[in-house]
Amino acid sequence: MRSNDVLGFIFADTLDDKVPELAATRTMASIPIGGKYRIIDFVLSSMSNSGINNVGICAKSNFLSLTDHVGSGSAYDLSKRRSNLTLLTPYGGKNFSNYVEIIYNMHGYIEHCREEYILISPGNVISNFDYTQLFDFHAKHNADITFLYKRRVVPAGYDRPITFDIADDGKVKQVFVAPGNTDEVVNHVCGTVLIKKSLLMEEIRKALSLNELDIKRLIQKSVEKYSVYAYENKGYTAVISSINSYFDFNMDLMKKSVRDELFNPKRPIYTKVRDDAPSRYGLDSKVKNSIIAQGCVIDGEVENCIISKGVYVGSGAKLSNCIVMQDTKIGADTKLNYVIIDKDVTIKDERSLMGFDSYPIYIAKKSVV
Amino acid sequence: MQTFPKQEVVAMLLAGGQGSRLGVLTKKLAKPAVPFGGKYRIIDFPLSNCVNSGIEAVGILTQYQPLILNEYIGNGQPWDLDGMHSGVNCLSPYQAIKGADWYSGTANAIYQNINYIERYDPEYVVILSGDHIYKMDYNKMLEYHKEKNAACTIAVIDVPLEEASRFGILNTHEDGEIYEFDEKPEHPKSTNASMGIYIFSWKELRKYLTDDAELENSSHDFGKDVLPAMLNSGERMFAYPFEGYWKDVGTIDSLWEANMDLLDPNVTLDLKDIYSRNPMMPPHYISPDANIQNSLIADGCNVEGNLEFSILFSGVTVGKGATINSSIIMPGAVIEEGADVQFAIVAENTVIGKNAKIGQSPEEVENRDNWGIAVIGENTVIPENAVVKAKEMIDSEVTAK
Repeated sequence: MRSNDVLGFIFADTLDDKVPELAATRTMASIPIGGKYRIIDFVLSSMSNSGINNVGICAKSNFLSLTDHVGSGSAYDLSKRRSNLTLLTPYGGKNFSNYVEIIYNMHGYIEHCREEYILISPGNVISNFDYTQLFDFHAKHNADITFLYKRRVVPAGYDRPITFDIADDGKVKQVFVAPGNTDEVVNHVCGTVLIKKSLLMEEIRKALSLNELDIKRLIQKSVEKYSVYAYENKGYTAVISSINSYFDFNMDLMKKSVRDELFNPKRPIYTKVRDDAPSRYGLDSKVKNSIIAQGCVIDGEVENCIISKGVYVGSGAKLSNCIVMQDTKIGADTKLNYVIIDKDVTIKDERSLMGFDSYPIYIAKKSVV
Repeated sequence: MQTFPKQEVVAMLLAGGQGSRLGVLTKKLAKPAVPFGGKYRIIDFPLSNCVNSGIEAVGILTQYQPLILNEYIGNGQPWDLDGMHSGVNCLSPYQAIKGADWYSGTANAIYQNINYIERYDPEYVVILSGDHIYKMDYNKMLEYHKEKNAACTIAVIDVPLEEASRFGILNTHEDGEIYEFDEKPEHPKSTNASMGIYIFSWKELRKYLTDDAELENSSHDFGKDVLPAMLNSGERMFAYPFEGYWKDVGTIDSLWEANMDLLDPNVTLDLKDIYSRNPMMPPHYISPDANIQNSLIADGCNVEGNLEFSILFSGVTVGKGATINSSIIMPGAVIEEGADVQFAIVAENTVIGKNAKIGQSPEEVENRDNWGIAVIGENTVIPENAVVKAKEMIDSEVTAK
């Protein structure tokens, strides 16, 4: 099977409700991350770099920031004669709460696309993954359905996580929908799956007619009927499922190994371009162990921070362990520790805010402190 | 034939010169494509000025080493110059029935592309050059040109009297009408230096270009031939005074100075609304061992060393204990551990080996005449512990020896 025979499909609002602050005005997929990206950039770039030409993004509400960010898809090379990025927002006023109805609602789009397969991805995964590995595995095992999984402790935020019991060759023996989290390392599935479009729609239609609207139950039943396989993503992967996992991922970027893997120059992560000048460090600036995007002016002290595009840090200000989103202004002599500051915030001179590593403080978009 | 919507103004950007005074920096690169200011190339400035002035048709005249320049301009999308019936085109010399000609002078380059200009049926043509750093609204100059009912308007900047003899000086009447050109005068009568920016009414320019092309002993140059011919025929020619930052970056020293100007809070040039092609790189990382003062850093850099009064372009790596002072490090260069780079320009993808010493500060040189900026050309590997003195120019051919 060839990559151009696979339709990419992303759910932009996966686990929105687990990061209510960050997702108050946006979808999970369009949360700013890593200084210049949005979460969806990683999945979209991975799909584009894997040779997928056609991607649909499904969002149920709050999608202004998402549409603004991905635009026509040209930043991801997904806007050409034979490649497209399509935003699927609720139409006909229908808004469903379960995946069976949501997918059915998109059947017009899914069936209209010329690809034979569909690769579904949640919108909260961060990984620079070569999906062609998954396609090859799927073809080699003549599988009907192949899930991507990760060996890890189920992250906080997954209320009914799906875990697999897997045979040595990758065949799925059993699907568990665990009622709670443990500290045990398991085969965690967070929603990336490859399947023939026709098979998906057949199963969804059947489920609808039987009024079985739980997609997790559907996955459990599919193991009995079809040849279901699982492929392990052995690379670096983060999922955002709480404000803590959001904070931890950003801090992970200080590790060279993580940066080298996520930002592999042969498989770049694309994002919407903004014409920012290079960042400017003032005479009294002091920056240690931090990620700084372009367009910033840094006159103060910054340590263990992620500073996004167009941020101003005033002289005498002292920031540690903070995530500062784009175009925020931080006044002179202000002290901040473990604070997540959203876009366009103004923090005036001589303010002092302290969170804790297990409980970072969050400052909402456009606030004035 | 496809018809083009009329454009009131067409800009023609002269980008064919070799820029030999930039030495190893322009060995494989046209001067307008030389990197500037941490993420730009020189040509981004006139191109962004065009777009910000509402000029939608821009012809770039290329001749010397056009590969990188052509690739960089591409379809013009980063500058919004990818319109359906307008936008940017790279115009290189071509073969025609009469034969094939290189562009023999600046005026000849425009003459050979009369067809390109006429497609748009313009009223005015702006002639720009690709080796100046400035921000300017060409619209204001055009308004002035119309107001004066001029055939030609030349932008001028006030320079200090003692430097005036380095420039082409325009002597004008009180109303701004030019009565004399004075190329690099020993005793300048005024301080109005030409910025190399011309607006012509197209009908007049077309006539003078055609006349000039007939002259066998003409060098087909705007400054030497076309402008004097217009003046001698009594055409209305005006000087348009420009106020703001403007710098010719045709030499190593001026290129270095213009970059350093970006670090000077007293300099008025701001980089807002200058567009460029952006490389896809993550934000830069500053390690716990780094020390950074008064510098510009672009995306994709990894800094573990010490930086002062310097500019890092995208994707530069600075190793532990390396020191960079008053220098410009172009995209993809690697400065290894313990290296010491001072008053230097290091070109793209060059590697400075461990503990190498590149360049010297003016204080370290006994005879100030021997001091200058050290330059390392692109794709050069400087071995460990090597020493490159002030004013030296090194490239991969030198290191191979």
